[in-house]
Amino acid sequence: MNFRRLLITILLAGAVAALAQPQARAQSFGPSGTTTLSVVVGPEAAIQINTSTSSLTASGSTFTNDFTGTTAFTYKVRTTKTGGTGNIGVQVTSDFSPGSGPSVASPPSTGDTLSYTCTVTSPGTGCTGSQNASTTASTSVATFGADAHSAKAGNTGSVSWDLTNDPKYGTGTYTATVTFTISAT
Amino acid sequence: MGSRAVSRVALWIAIIAALCARANCDSVTLTQGVSVRLEPAAKLSVPAVLPLLGAGATFSPFSGSLTVSYRLRTSPAGAGAITLQAASDFAPAGGPSIAAGALTYTCAGSTLGTACTGQESVATGAQSPVLAVPGGACTGGGGACSAANPNTTTVSFTLENDSSARTGNYAAQITFVVSAI
Repeated sequence: MNFRRLLITILLAGAVAALAQPQARAQSFGPSGTTTLSVVVGPEAAIQINTSTSSLTASGSTFTNDFTGTTAFTYKVRTTKTGGTGNIGVQVTSDFSPGSGPSVASPPSTGDTLSYTCTVTSPGTGCTGSQNASTTASTSVATFGADAHSAKAGNTGSVSWDLTNDPKYGTGTYTATVTFTISAT
Repeated sequence: MGSRAVSRVALWIAIIAALCARANCDSVTLTQGVSVRLEPAAKLSVPAVLPLLGAGATFSPFSGSLTVSYRLRTSPAGAGAITLQAASDFAPAGGPSIAAGALTYTCAGSTLGTACTGQESVATGAQSPVLAVPGGACTGGGGACSAANPNTTTVSFTLENDSSARTGNYAAQITFVVSAI
């Protein structure tokens, strides 16, 4: 390639590169200018657990009442206007410990459960009846339909726990961790 | 310069003089006084579109920054300013609302004048400050004027991510106005 052809090639490459640059989006100068702010608001969801430790206590006569307690939460949700859905789920991510006490995964007696009922303010729909918590799957606390959007400060809900009071449990203090998950599409 | 060169110049002068005399040409020198009165003036330019983007975390605010480019000249006893105002709220309805105070901004980095300080709210019915320029200021050229041409300042918008807003695409128009006296 001689020098002239090389020069032409470079100039053409430069011209192509210049044309390939994105158009300058600034407008011409004037006494005023207008900018259009654009925003895409998509589905989102967030949850805050307000009761960091829920103490389950039994009252009344011996073994007649289960251990009960409540976990309160605040949620924010926004689902897609058409076809959107959402839910809040809960899962026991760490079973009761130490051993010899209650257990979700391996209860000492058949029928021992950690169950719960749900109270959820609109736009959520709380779970129906009593649900058994699980260590292997997330179980439902609330569901949301399309175009659900919570209040700016969020909406509230709670889970009321019920742990079987089994005489087989050794005395002591036992702790488990449950994890709430919220999602929206 | 040698004597031959001097002779050559003299020869050319003679030739030009002869030609000029033949053409009956004349030569006059005039002095024209020129004065110019520079009035205060100002103009600006902003991007046509500014996307506001989320930061990633759920319900974190949407934000975006733009550069306002401006050229400005103020009289010695005058002043200049850039302000902004929402020309229209976010549309369609159901989304973010400027009228509800969801849109704020901060200013930074002006190359001429003083940018607004702190967080300002965008209003639909009133102008809010972006920049104040003192008297005797001008854009470009250095010296008493700024070195930069055009001058620039940065405005960073923050839009509240309210969960009560419905999903969708929304747009609002912000008008910047520059003035100088």
